[in-house]
This record gives sequence, structure tokens and C-alpha cells, in this order.
Amino acid sequence: MLVLELMLIIFLASIVAGVIGSLVGLGGGVVVIPMLTIGLGVNIHYAIGASIVSVIATSSGAAATYVKDKMTNLKVGMFLELGTTTGAITGALIAAYVNSLTLELIFGVVLLLSLIPLIRKIGEDIPATPELTGLSEKLKLTGSYVETDGSTVKYNATHPTEGLAGMVVAGLISGLLGIGSGTFKVLSMDLAMKLPMKVSTTTSNFMIGVTAAASAGIYFVRGDVNPIIVAPVALGILIGASMGARVLTRARNPTVRKIFALVLAIAGLEMVLRALGI
Amino acid sequence: MNLSDPDSMNTIISKVLRYGVLLSAAVIVVGTALLAAHDAFSQSGSFLTYNPNQVPHGSFPVTFNGLVAGLASGAPMAIIELGVLLLLATPVSRVLFSIFLFAAEHNRTYVYVTLTVLMLLLFSMLATPYIPIFGG
Repeated sequence: MLVLELMLIIFLASIVAGVIGSLVGLGGGVVVIPMLTIGLGVNIHYAIGASIVSVIATSSGAAATYVKDKMTNLKVGMFLELGTTTGAITGALIAAYVNSLTLELIFGVVLLLSLIPLIRKIGEDIPATPELTGLSEKLKLTGSYVETDGSTVKYNATHPTEGLAGMVVAGLISGLLGIGSGTFKVLSMDLAMKLPMKVSTTTSNFMIGVTAAASAGIYFVRGDVNPIIVAPVALGILIGASMGARVLTRARNPTVRKIFALVLAIAGLEMVLRALGI
Repeated sequence: MNLSDPDSMNTIISKVLRYGVLLSAAVIVVGTALLAAHDAFSQSGSFLTYNPNQVPHGSFPVTFNGLVAGLASGAPMAIIELGVLLLLATPVSRVLFSIFLFAAEHNRTYVYVTLTVLMLLLFSMLATPYIPIFGG
């Protein structure tokens, strides 16, 4: 294939990945990696290197508009980044010693797990406010935000140590597979720390870029960020994600989400089967 | 620019993020255009080779000296990699500015927490090239 052809195909595929990613509520990376590996036969290490860079682009772009909202809890985010960055560095370290097939297998499983929250809605209602004790009190892991109906919701975070441990795992997955792993960040804030869903999701967005930067640096110097792949992927996902965000505000269609979730489930399954040689 | 006012700090952080992404995207676009002008009709195979047994795994510049030399000669690959580095610097500068934000609030605990996150980021970017196990 000619260079021009390859870059154009990757560019268009990445725009599609960005759109699907934002429609389904996942990052573009988790969509573009199967496209590059299954679809175009790109080495998964290069796919991961390009994806992690695009994760920084989309999350920084989105975060620029979120900085001033009062949903994001900067303290909770910064405290948990201690865990996500440590995990991300460890994940990028491990990735160097895992062969392509095993990486595809792990990726397929993680992709399937990421889809669970799309099928089963989790943590919709606001949890009861627990007492602020111990480390949470010391770190002032508390906050409040204004609901759409005008009421103020106050919340406290519990179990910061468990939350931090969950973030090490989320960071590890992010660093190992080159994805934002927002689902896993939200899960541990929701399940361990009992934070309201709106706070978990916006704070997760806040952490994704910093987490990705921690492993992207390692991938860069290792030579896994191939210019020919990363240029069309980063630009394409950036364009696709902003297009998706625009479509999303106009039409929230659960059927569309379900269709794309099904497509991603098939991609995940395909990667698992391929890795297992079935 | 007032470093002790949280509101103006948030504005700065928001701008750093937005312009960081735009600047790096612009540099990547320039590099891509030059790459297309040079190699559009070359076979892509050699560009996609991944060498698991050597570090760096690809055949494009990633070291400081390699990048500087590439940029000096206007090599498209080096320009794209510069754009990638600008993108990497964006969240790092965000963390850096958050230190000022917490300092303005006299929140010593979080100045230390944020400083630690910054150290971890700098470690991953600046120190890991010199630690052989990270090369793989």
C-alpha cells in the first residue's frame, strides 16, 4: 500500500472511531486499536502508541471546557492521579515484555468489560452522604455541585485507599493498552469512594489526559509512536470526537448507542478469538 | 496574569489546554503535509516495520539529538514527533499550573500531592530512557 493511501485510510477510520467513541461514551482509542490491528494489520504496539497520544489530544481538548465547571473535583482528581500515573508507568513498562497476541487478548477482554456499563446502567442515583473520616478528612475529599434542578448536592468521599488502589489498576490498564480507561476510573470512584456519578465522570475526564501523558512519554522514547500512524490517528480522532460531541447534543439515541456497543463487542470478541487462535 | 487568584489561574489552565492541543495539531498537520509531499507514493511497508529486538523499535527519530538534527533539516517525521511532544507537554503544564493554584489557596498538602504527580510525569518522560528495563 502507498503511504498516501495508508494515511488516508487511517485518517478516515480514526474520524469514524472518534465519532463512535463519543457516541458510545468511550474514548476513541478503544475503537481505533481494533481498526488498526484487525482491519489494517498494523502492529499492536504501534496502534497502542498512536492511541495513547490521541487520548491526550481528546481529553485535553474536552478538559479545556470542563475546567471551570464545578462538577470536577480537583482535589479528588489530583489525589487519585498519584495512583493512575504510578499504574500507567508500570503498565507501559509491562507492555514492553508482553507479546502482541497476549496484548490483543487482554485488549479484547478489557474492551468487552468496558461495554458492561452501557448495558447495565450503574450508580444512577446519588449515594447517601457518608461521614468524612480518617484520610478522607485529612485530604478534604469533599465537595458540592449544583444539580440541573437548582438543588445543591453535597458529597463526601469514603475509602480513599481503596479508591487509590482502583486507580492504580485503571492506570495500569491505560498504560498497558494505550486507552483512556475512563470506565475503570469511574467504576472505582463510584464503587469504592461512593462519589456521585456526575462527579466521577467529570473527574475521570480530568484525570485521563495526565494518566495518558505518564505512559505516552515512555512509549515515545521506546519508538512505539510511529509518525506515519500517529499523525492521521490523532488528527482523525480529534475531528471525529468533536463531531460526535456535536451530534450527541442534538440527538441522544439509545438505539444508536446499542448498535455501536454491539459492533464493539464483536470487535472485542474477534480480538480474543484471534489471540486464542480460534 | 495573577498567579494568586484561583479564577484567573483556571482561565490560564483552560487556555493552556486549548492552545496546547491546537498548536500541536497544527505542527502535526505541517509535518504530515511535508511527509505527503516527500513520500506520498512510496510503499508504506518499510515505514511500518516494528523491530522488537532493538530500541527504539522504529526507524524514526525519538532521541533529543535525533529530533534536533531532523528538525534542523526539516525532516517531516521529526516535525510530526515535535507535534506529539507538544501534545505530551500539555497535561504536564496543566499539572504544573495546578501547583500554583493550590499554593494560592495555601493548601500545602495538595501542593505536595501535585508536586509528586509532576515528578512522576517528569520521571516517565526524562528518566525512563536511561533505565534499560523500560526500553523492553
